[in-house]
Amino acid sequence: MTAMRRALNVEWAGLAAAALIGAAVLSLLSANFLTEFNIYVMLRSASVGLLVAYAQMICLGVGQMNLAVGALGGLVAVLFGGMLEVFHFPIALAVLAAVAIGVLGGLTNGLLTVRTGINGFIITLATASAFTGINFGMTKAVPFYKMPPDLVAFGDQHIGAFPYLLAAPLVLAALLALFLFRMVPGRRLLAVGGNSHAAALSGISPGGMIVLAHAISGALAAVAAVLAVAQLGSAQPLIGGDWLLMSFAAPIIGGTALGGGDVSIVGTGFAVLVIALIQNGMVVAKVDPYWVQFLLGALVLAAVGLNRWRAVRMRGR
Amino acid sequence: MTDDAVRISPLRRFRLGGASAQLSLLVIVVALWVVFSIKSSGFLSSFNLFALGRSLAVDVVIGFSQMVVLATGGMNLAVGSIGVCAVMFGGTLMQTMGLPVPIAFALAILLGGALGWLNGFAIVRTGVSSFVITLASANLYSGAMLILTRAVPLNQLPPEVGAFGRLRIAGIVSPFLVIAAVLGVALFVLYRYSVLGRYFLAAGANPRAAAMSGVPVQRAVVTSHILSGVLAAVAGLMVVARVGAAMPAVGGEDWLLPSFLGPVVGGTLLSGGVVSVFGSFLGAGLVTTIRSGLLVMGIGNFWLQLFLGLVLLGAVLIERYRAVRIERRPFPPR
Repeated sequence: MTAMRRALNVEWAGLAAAALIGAAVLSLLSANFLTEFNIYVMLRSASVGLLVAYAQMICLGVGQMNLAVGALGGLVAVLFGGMLEVFHFPIALAVLAAVAIGVLGGLTNGLLTVRTGINGFIITLATASAFTGINFGMTKAVPFYKMPPDLVAFGDQHIGAFPYLLAAPLVLAALLALFLFRMVPGRRLLAVGGNSHAAALSGISPGGMIVLAHAISGALAAVAAVLAVAQLGSAQPLIGGDWLLMSFAAPIIGGTALGGGDVSIVGTGFAVLVIALIQNGMVVAKVDPYWVQFLLGALVLAAVGLNRWRAVRMRGR
Repeated sequence: MTDDAVRISPLRRFRLGGASAQLSLLVIVVALWVVFSIKSSGFLSSFNLFALGRSLAVDVVIGFSQMVVLATGGMNLAVGSIGVCAVMFGGTLMQTMGLPVPIAFALAILLGGALGWLNGFAIVRTGVSSFVITLASANLYSGAMLILTRAVPLNQLPPEVGAFGRLRIAGIVSPFLVIAAVLGVALFVLYRYSVLGRYFLAAGANPRAAAMSGVPVQRAVVTSHILSGVLAAVAGLMVVARVGAAMPAVGGEDWLLPSFLGPVVGGTLLSGGVVSVFGSFLGAGLVTTIRSGLLVMGIGNFWLQLFLGLVLLGAVLIERYRAVRIERRPFPPR
């Protein structure tokens, strides 16, 4: 196998190439693309997307799906905003509490799924609706606007084109990689996703791993919500409303197996970058923003088609 | 052995369980009606009953649209997107092209079927789960609709459309309800008495076994998606008639929860192979009743999502509890 072939067989090589080509095309199309400010804006908006994608990826890894990522994010966002504006919590405490709420929400999803044995799809569809209901019932859809200046500043600051916000997903992605690929619970989590029955026979509790995955997912969704509040400068109840597609699209495009057991952290990261490029490209090229939704759908279909084609070809060898 | 040691096949036992589930659902819906009508005198007014029946019909058809795919063991996240595509396509045909209403409606329903066929085709061809395919196609369809229509509502439709939506039979019954009931009877006949319906259920219960016994599983999956698209389009057109305009905000993700709620609460299995047409009707009835009741009692729409989520959770938990209890019952003698 030549080096070229080997490089192409790395799951995310194609995505990295797509990101590079996309960036090259965009910089040719518009002089504004390669400006420091534009790249900063793009990376800032990718920060939230990365965490949303990882929140879904960890559930996919254990063989579950989580439709409640966005709803939980929205609920955490308004509770976070409420703690800051109404109860004047210090920011650090509010962040901790927000993550705790996220974990709690994730535990609810996980325990309900495991204890009832009902399809996680329907459980998280129900809890998503409940989370959104609590969110809108409490806030009456009115955002919290008075966020502490330190938080808003954190959302805006950057070193060159690197936004401070991006630090959170990068650190968490590294921790996630460490956890999933180098630590026993992480390996067990993926083992359950790969073959739940075999994992159970080798002494792993599938239920425990599913609950763990949902708890981590909840925590990641909560951090995503906190970043979204920092980025927007206000705690909007609508945060999370449009996370559903992103959460599934990025891991799927990035090569995470829907059946579980196989996740790609780098691939998911590149997929978020490609999606951010598309969104940014639409703005730069002044195209109708509705194209983003259309293209995302097409991209997911293309990705699953490509994976399918690759699988068939591998088998044919 | 227990004294009621009658020979009951697992299938029959399950059916009995299903029937009692529908009975308890009926009791809950009736109980809610009593509570709401005591709490608010407006609930039983002829206008509210008419409006209730009209939105019930839409919820029922949305539920049917999901149910036919659940029967084959899949799911369709694009119900709302196909609905809105049919809405805007029908609206364009009537307002921009000036086509007569029946032709426009028929073409819109045809489009729904075609989009459903695309879903089914992609699922069967790629072998990828229906969840991913329809999640992607939902965005593809909605995106294409928004690009083509630029999200502009069409509110100069022929007046007959709105008039049909306001039509009342015997003062309180909307013709929508009749349409939903006819569709329900047709689906019941399909699943109970037709070969195609049996194919759907067999493909959903165990695709491998079905394929080995000669059921054209792939064709059943594609057909169920076509049917789902047609029903989604019908639901969309009902909304067009109710509002008297074609709005790009109809459907979409707003239909996701109701589409699953009705069938699942009514006893249709997510894993496929078991449907309950009457149960879906009742499940949609529960959704509509709660929505209308909260509105009439002035609690408003904000808490609605919470209630619907809890209802869905409660329903699946009860169903699960019942299944566990049936399993634990001692087996009758052979």
